[in-house]
Amino acid sequence: MVAALALSVFFPLGLVFYQSVLSGPFFMPAARLSLEAFAFIFDDPDFWSATKNTLIIAVGMSVIAIPLGAILAFIMVRTDLPGRRWLETPILIPIFVSPVVLGFGYVVSLGPVGFFSVWFEQLFGSVPWNIYSMTSIVLIAGLTHVPHVYLYSSSALRNLGSDVEEAARLSGASPFRVARDVSIPMVSPALLYVGVLVFFLGFEIFGLPLILGDPEGHLVLTTYLYKLTNKLGTPSYHLMAAVATCIIAVTFPLVLLQRVLLKSAQRFVAVKGKSARQRRLALGGWKWVALALIGAWLVLTIVVPVAGVALRSVVSSWGAGINLLEVLTLDHFRAVFEEDTMIRSILNSVLIGTLGGAVAVGGYLLIGLATHRKPDGLSRFVDYVVLTPRAIPGLMAGLAVFWVFLFVPFLAPLRSTLFSVWFAYAVVWLAYGMRLIQSALMQVGPELEEAGRLVGASRARVSRDITVPLIRNGLLGSWLLIFMIFEREYSTGVYLLSPGTEVIGAQIVSLWASGAVDVVAALSLINMLLVGCGLALALRFGVKLHD
Amino acid sequence: MNTFLPASRRRFGKLLVATCVAAAFGAAPALAQTPSELAAAAAKEGKLVIYGVTDNEQANHLIREFRAQYPAVQVEYSNMSTTELYNRFISESAAGASADVTWSSAMDLQVKLVNDGYAQPHKSAETAKLPDWANWKNEAFGTTYEPVGFVYNKRLVPAADVPQSHADFVRLLSAQADKYKGKVTTYDPEKSGVGFMLVTQDKQVNGAGFNDLLKAFGGVAVRVQGATGTMMERIASGENLIGYNLNAAYALTRARKDPSLGIVLPKDYTLVLSRVMFIAKGARHPNAAKLWVDFVLSKKGQEIIANKADLYAIRGDVEGETTASGLKKQLGDALRPVPIGTGLLTYLDQAKRLDFIKQWNGAVKAK
Amino acid sequence: MTDKTILTVDDLALAYGSNPILKGVSMQLRRGEVVSLLGPSGSGKTTLLRAVAGLEQPHEGRVKIAGRTIYDGAAGIDVPAEKRDLGLVFQSYALWPHKTVFDNVAYPLKLRKVGSAEIAERVQAALKNLGLAHLAERYPHQLSGGQQQRVSIARALVYNPPVILLDEPLSNLDAKMREEARAWLRNLIVEMQLSALVVTHDQSEAMAMSDRILLLNGGVIEQQGTPQEMYSQPKTLFVADFMGSNNILKGRVAEIRGGEACVEVGEGLRLWGQRRNDAAVGQEVSVVVRVEQVRLAEGPAEHRVGIDLATSMFLGDRFEYVFHAGSALLRAWGSRQEASGRRWLEFPPDAVWVF
Repeated sequence: MVAALALSVFFPLGLVFYQSVLSGPFFMPAARLSLEAFAFIFDDPDFWSATKNTLIIAVGMSVIAIPLGAILAFIMVRTDLPGRRWLETPILIPIFVSPVVLGFGYVVSLGPVGFFSVWFEQLFGSVPWNIYSMTSIVLIAGLTHVPHVYLYSSSALRNLGSDVEEAARLSGASPFRVARDVSIPMVSPALLYVGVLVFFLGFEIFGLPLILGDPEGHLVLTTYLYKLTNKLGTPSYHLMAAVATCIIAVTFPLVLLQRVLLKSAQRFVAVKGKSARQRRLALGGWKWVALALIGAWLVLTIVVPVAGVALRSVVSSWGAGINLLEVLTLDHFRAVFEEDTMIRSILNSVLIGTLGGAVAVGGYLLIGLATHRKPDGLSRFVDYVVLTPRAIPGLMAGLAVFWVFLFVPFLAPLRSTLFSVWFAYAVVWLAYGMRLIQSALMQVGPELEEAGRLVGASRARVSRDITVPLIRNGLLGSWLLIFMIFEREYSTGVYLLSPGTEVIGAQIVSLWASGAVDVVAALSLINMLLVGCGLALALRFGVKLHD
Repeated sequence: MNTFLPASRRRFGKLLVATCVAAAFGAAPALAQTPSELAAAAAKEGKLVIYGVTDNEQANHLIREFRAQYPAVQVEYSNMSTTELYNRFISESAAGASADVTWSSAMDLQVKLVNDGYAQPHKSAETAKLPDWANWKNEAFGTTYEPVGFVYNKRLVPAADVPQSHADFVRLLSAQADKYKGKVTTYDPEKSGVGFMLVTQDKQVNGAGFNDLLKAFGGVAVRVQGATGTMMERIASGENLIGYNLNAAYALTRARKDPSLGIVLPKDYTLVLSRVMFIAKGARHPNAAKLWVDFVLSKKGQEIIANKADLYAIRGDVEGETTASGLKKQLGDALRPVPIGTGLLTYLDQAKRLDFIKQWNGAVKAK
Repeated sequence: MTDKTILTVDDLALAYGSNPILKGVSMQLRRGEVVSLLGPSGSGKTTLLRAVAGLEQPHEGRVKIAGRTIYDGAAGIDVPAEKRDLGLVFQSYALWPHKTVFDNVAYPLKLRKVGSAEIAERVQAALKNLGLAHLAERYPHQLSGGQQQRVSIARALVYNPPVILLDEPLSNLDAKMREEARAWLRNLIVEMQLSALVVTHDQSEAMAMSDRILLLNGGVIEQQGTPQEMYSQPKTLFVADFMGSNNILKGRVAEIRGGEACVEVGEGLRLWGQRRNDAAVGQEVSVVVRVEQVRLAEGPAEHRVGIDLATSMFLGDRFEYVFHAGSALLRAWGSRQEASGRRWLEFPPDAVWVF
């Protein structure tokens, strides 16, 4: 099984590397070994401007998301803010909404003639923002990644004893001084970890710059990669692979760094573990400030884009000088439901999320169990194998999987089936899924399993009779999270799109490229509804959206 | 015994055998298949795989009628972008077999594929009806006659501003550079194969005027997009006001639903694209493919293209507004169909292409 | 090795990476015997137990149970835990929270493919034996700590393993219950004639429960013997210190007379005691004397020292006196309250050990 896992990860990755040192598509007889792909991209000013923009976005995102996320976590976890319970879910929504959908929503809401821009202009005379500028892209990217920071810092803060904060209060610090001087510095290892994570996500960001960076030509590395599909008129797989190799050269060390940091962050928290009873800090009058801040953030990152998408999906045209009431229509949804491919893409998305998600969780579980509490070399190897796909941009991973299904004879018949998309998704989200499974597995006390061994059960039997039943809830939670992630995924499916393998995410990217905006809006709304269903179910079953 | 012969000798041997067999049975050469024989052979194959860039909605009109006529042939139509089609077709061909028929508006890429030997010839009563420029070596066939023009926002562009020719357009942009700054859109030649092809055709047809055009684009900081739909969305919303080199066929479809879009076909010259179709050499359903090509080029198929699919018919004997003959009445000699042939390959040469893109970027991005 | 030996550990060595935990441990357990593995934390006692159980991976040595080799580093034999047929009572009890008490106890029998009627019968018998019959349908979280422990024992005994291993069986109970449970457990083991290996860090628990004690220190067996031997004839300072409450004084050998040595502990404070190693005159040594061996005396005599009483503490069943002996503190026990001031303390030379 380990061999199959390693093959699923390294074969596509190897293909990417191999392709990057060829002079043409690897399947063409004329292709020969050469570094000309690298020479080309290093000579291309677009590559450098994309690199620069990527760095700006990655740094800017971190600068915006980390302090905001940490403060948000402090307010939610350590203070008596009213309505905390109600806020917990909306705060996490941006994680589960496809950035393509968000980006599209921003264009429709805040673009030069967006719904909100037009209203704003009517009220104040002019629109002070430009949604297509780098500043906007960085800002939106930063704001939509606040939940990631929130997730990690809140779980670290939860483990912090309140005695240290009370000591600060008694020495005369205000709640925000406490946050700044005591609580947040004490969770700095977690923040460092999430800082690297956000920086890393900045390197792979695709959906937002794809849509917002287009009109003014702001490229990032991933959109540059996407653009290379066309730049030379004929396929430039070698160039794309070379760019992907460059991206991986940055992201893979970051992934490894995250792993190291995660371990140290856990150790840090463990020292403080077993915290005394936690008492919440009274915010007093500050609570209105805090609520206003959170409210503003929610409006900007969720309400505005989602409202934009929703509105666009029910009007036939929009913009300056249009009375929206006159152009209301359900035609776009009708168009979606009249078209076989659209219906198929919705059904496929549901299928890949539910059944595919379950099978993926099952697979992750098998890998998890095989290496569970087995501190041998093989397990360490699996650990790294599992992390590797995280470093590959989804777009490229999808393309590599496409090649694999094209040229591996026994897989070829499966290429035009949903299986190929599922496979790509499962590999791309391997690290995430394994983290879910492993954290569930770690909840099981080792002695419960050892007791099983001692009374005569084999490893497999222990897994079946003891470990798996004990993590049932964790598995359900993982499945729902994977469901939402699979619904949200868009870039991985782009190159795998063919009749039978349509999924909403990839369909949106493809339709956006061809300009079928009406349908994109309707599909986006349907996509969000699906994710919403997953979210509602998760809440219904009390699944924790984080660890 | 064959094992020791070099590959070419072996192939020659096979050919020899085939010829002998054919001679022995006195079989008719494949070309002389009658339509009913073709339909029977296609029915036996039972299936047809098409890769096309035409939207499902439009393609479906053709497919529905085709299925009604030949119910035994299942049609599997995949809609994708031009580059995706090209990439997919060559990688799948390398792996074994790909689509039976490809149908793309990226005329240059289609010609390249045919030129690289990916197509098989087909000759029939229907292919004979095509104008010469639209039939290349009986392998690549132009199927439509789609003019390219200006699309503008009727609500926001005053009638007096609406350009009627390329020269008008350049004048408008230079005269009202402030008003149109950031409000003019066209294809990004780096992202769109069709856009690239159109703008290089412009360069050939427009001559000296082309440089003025580039300068005008630079003056208003033209917004470039990857696709017609995105451009039309922005023109309709008022984010952009005028689009250059938009496919009138698409614009017409949208203008029917959206009264804010106006279309102009320039009077000095109007470029005309034709969707190129060819039958793959390695087609698994060659007869069904031939049947399909004949159907698309038939009078009936062309009528569907003109009247239902909102594309323009290429066959001279189909009448109406959205046909080649209709356009000829309107624009006469100003029509400049892009001929299908090796001329399209010029800019697929990497160095030339990058040179052109450099020239474009240098002019357009200059402030 | 006699026929009565049921568990033999021979030269067992184990390391975590480059960090050796067991450095060649040998021991035997006879049928019907209770042996305690005693030692401070980090001494390797739990590791030894877990290595016997098959939960840790030694790299050298041999383990035999009832004549069957279950581990032999040289021969490459390593029977997996589930095939060793041992019973283990975990420190945390390790009851499966998703199974009822009955199912917890029945699981080992189910694995052994025992018929369901027989399972019911045997589980009921085991539960009844341990006074748990009425709790069969409960879940572990509905039980008290003591009840959980008994379920855990029932689960380990239900399939009649030749040896039962207990890992700190009493440490999860509160102090008051611990002594009762200790008696109950010793009684159970004796009554059921079990052969048991018990890990504990508490010397009084070890002495009370076992027939023999193995004291581990730094991955080797420091000394083994009956509780009495361990207590009254420690071979090393470590053993002497670990067993019992002690006064330990640092000093220098002043004089040697046969088996006895005189140690100068502080200014004017000289003690005679048994020589436990071959320290020569002038060498630094440690003097160990059990607290209960030091007696308050009426006046000066041989082996008595005059010393200042700092305070006396009431412990319930006795008083503890604290003396200043130079920079060190000395403790002694007595039956009545004493006021501070100069006192005479008697150190019987055969109860004073010089290491």
